[in-house]
Amino acid sequence: MGSETLVNRIPNDIGGEPAGKIERVEHVLLPWEKRCHALADVLDFHKIINTEEKRRGVESLGSEAVGKLSYYERWIVAFANILFQKGILVPSELAEKVREVENRYPDTSHG
Amino acid sequence: MPYPHDHDHDHDHSHAPITNDERPGYYDIMETAVRELLIEKKLFGADEIRRQIEVLDSRTPALGAKVVARAWVDREFRKRLLENGRKACETLGITFYDDTELIVLENTPDIHNLIVCTLCSCYPRPVLGLPPDWYKLKPYRARAVQEPRAVLKEFGTIIPDDVEIRVSDSTAIVRYLVLPMRPAGTDHLSEQELADLVTRDAMIGVIPVSYQKDAA
Repeated sequence: MGSETLVNRIPNDIGGEPAGKIERVEHVLLPWEKRCHALADVLDFHKIINTEEKRRGVESLGSEAVGKLSYYERWIVAFANILFQKGILVPSELAEKVREVENRYPDTSHG
Repeated sequence: MPYPHDHDHDHDHSHAPITNDERPGYYDIMETAVRELLIEKKLFGADEIRRQIEVLDSRTPALGAKVVARAWVDREFRKRLLENGRKACETLGITFYDDTELIVLENTPDIHNLIVCTLCSCYPRPVLGLPPDWYKLKPYRARAVQEPRAVLKEFGTIIPDDVEIRVSDSTAIVRYLVLPMRPAGTDHLSEQELADLVTRDAMIGVIPVSYQKDAA
């Protein structure tokens, strides 16, 4: 007894679990979050990543990442992983593109 | 890669002014990189992302409120709405930009409806826009299906014990919208004035629509 609870429920399947008080939080999406949402919709329209695949992609990040990343952070990381799995992107080309995008901005990190 | 600098914590030194030149965060950059690679591979165009952002910006709970107010004043429309939510909304000019179906759940003196997505965050976005954060967080998703009365109480909504509560769990393709009860004392209001009373949370089902004559 014990381990079956790990396999009979996927990490997102939390309906009915005990949980705390509902904090009525909301926020206006950051510009990148809105872009990420639009990206998700366009990926769905083109049948590249549908809603179910996106949900499974988030689940497969594992419970620690699911707990620590914000909603759209989970989405974009899941998209990258799914695109790798489908052979649409290769990790090295994404890493290179990330460096290229970073280099458009002066390095302001400090401390 | 540097981790995004967290601006929430206390500093004992002053910041340089935040300008557009400041390097975006890790995930922000990842989004740009993924999007640009896919556009370079011609899987879709940059214009499609821009257009979809405009679509997202155009979706607010005002659309759902318009649907609810119409259902309150037009019996035939209400019938069509309850039969096929998506088709009825489309007759009001509300387009569905995705493949989702919409089921409209009517509150009555005997039945109170509540919507949730236990697995994630499915929501009737074409008619309500994007969901609030609390709808996507664990406490609401976990508890709404188990102890809806207690959840509603946290929103200040007390449902009498003789009223049945029905909780509908959304899926990737089936979305729900609550048709709240029209408040008493609103017979003289126009359709637009009625729509102004209808809030997002009432269409999720966590609060009723209320009308205070004095405040109007």
